[in-house]
Amino acid sequence: MHRLTVLGIESSCDDTAAAVVRLDAGQAPQILSSVVSGQTDLHAPFGGVVPELAARAHAERVDLCVEEALTQAGTDLNGIDAIAVTAGPGLIGGVLAGVMCAKGLAAATGLPLVGVNHLAGHALTPRLTDGLGFPYLMLLVSGGHCQFLIVRGEEDFTRIGGSIDDAPGEAFDKVAKLLGLPQPGGPSVEREAEQGDRRRFALPRPLLDRPGCDMSFSGLKTAVLRERDKILAEKGGLTRADRADLCAGFQAAVTDVLAEKTRRAIGDYLDLRPHAPSLAVAGGVAANTTIRARLETVAADLGLGFVAPPLSLCTDNAAMIAWAGIERFRHGARDGQDLVARPRWPLDSTAPALIGSGKKGAKA
Amino acid sequence: MPPEPVVLAFDTSAAHCAAALLLPGGRIVQRSEAMQKGQAERLLPLLEEVLAEGGIGWKDVTALGVGVGPGNFTGIRIAVAAARGLALGLGVPAHGVTRFEALALDLPRPLAVVEDARHGDVYLQEFWPEPDAARITELSSLPMETGDVPLVGSAAEPAAALTGGAVLGARYPLAEAIARIAATRGPGVARPAPFYLRAADAAPPADPPPVILDA
Repeated sequence: MHRLTVLGIESSCDDTAAAVVRLDAGQAPQILSSVVSGQTDLHAPFGGVVPELAARAHAERVDLCVEEALTQAGTDLNGIDAIAVTAGPGLIGGVLAGVMCAKGLAAATGLPLVGVNHLAGHALTPRLTDGLGFPYLMLLVSGGHCQFLIVRGEEDFTRIGGSIDDAPGEAFDKVAKLLGLPQPGGPSVEREAEQGDRRRFALPRPLLDRPGCDMSFSGLKTAVLRERDKILAEKGGLTRADRADLCAGFQAAVTDVLAEKTRRAIGDYLDLRPHAPSLAVAGGVAANTTIRARLETVAADLGLGFVAPPLSLCTDNAAMIAWAGIERFRHGARDGQDLVARPRWPLDSTAPALIGSGKKGAKA
Repeated sequence: MPPEPVVLAFDTSAAHCAAALLLPGGRIVQRSEAMQKGQAERLLPLLEEVLAEGGIGWKDVTALGVGVGPGNFTGIRIAVAAARGLALGLGVPAHGVTRFEALALDLPRPLAVVEDARHGDVYLQEFWPEPDAARITELSSLPMETGDVPLVGSAAEPAAALTGGAVLGARYPLAEAIARIAATRGPGVARPAPFYLRAADAAPPADPPPVILDA
């Protein structure tokens, strides 16, 4: 096929998104449009994403985002070759809204349907933005996910480690909440940390003493809570300096853990003797300047190229879903109207489960 | 004269996957399959089977009808999201029809539609004949709210035991009623939206943020 134009749909967490991406043979892919309708305000009073509220919003927004994405791309459904949709993992009510809208569109137009794993969307983004060749090392670090993946092919991912509990983005949100800072926590904690003393509080570096690339961030958040409560017991409140120091200490701990585990992951990856070794990062946490700079340094020290897509393509979006759809579609992948929306869907089904390893299987 | 409408209607608001096709001349093709789960995978194939049985294709459909609830939240969203996708893809209107309107269709007035909302509650709407506001209320307060008007719906029997109203059966299967109502609606309607009646179960965080001493 000389030209492929794919509509992507994403609704697995708290962003409703639609995008149109085009690939002309022999050229770099083009993002013709990328519409993201966020729900931050909707969930802010609750201190976290409320699944039922998210599902309600997605169900009434997906088709509007699709229309907007088509308009901004200067096309209509006649100009589309396939419909790609996030089929999991994620909050199932939202995933279902996207999948059902995509099924309706596919049935009505006769266009092929391609179900995409949300994590594959993130993991393949460096190929959309920088044309990265396989195999590369990916650190996916967001509000909902934290894992190291060796990306060997469009559908070939090896997970070599990840968080056994909270994702770092979730820890940032919880710390922000503990300290009375606005959501989302990533940017607000980072802003405070700039003015803080990262050495004042001795916070733990969980799992650094253990071999391997697994991480843990839940205990770190609890450590912040304990330090906060000590201060509250003493003075009945926090000063702005206390808050800034807690933020700086927390961010430093997360940075140290990610940097050291990345160093180890790179070791595993280099065993594959890649031609052009590269570390790619994705997810909202990769937008944190301090974390990003440290990861870049680690990569440079070990002779790896460093790829970090622009923030709008690092956080949840549908261009990455359209792109992952293109990658699957051009290798013949098609899904039927029986495509299943899945709350749990690990990219690497052979790696042992990190979290959610109950009878329903690994979460992601 | 515009051509007669061809309306495809469906509902997944409870433990079923139901579809009806209203064809010119008033012919109806319909199916309803009982299922606890799996509506998201079954819905579109079922619709294609109904179209095939009616001897038509997607491009012949002139309007859609979708059951918007009240009912199972996830089920309602499955149907509504599919209807919105189909409407956009086909370029035809999708009409949202509540369970109340569907059950009340072509029954005598006054009438109260009462649906089981669990935990001793009912979803209620009276048609006196003008429709009153749909709401959730306690089963036990029905005598005060509706008097002894005739009742229809899944909670009609227990309601009648309290109010003394007569119990009526719905005139049409659910999806057929939705199709018939959608056929009477004009174009240029708002997109279908779930009709929840019950708010989302979400509570603000219990622990208050710390006091900032020098804010």
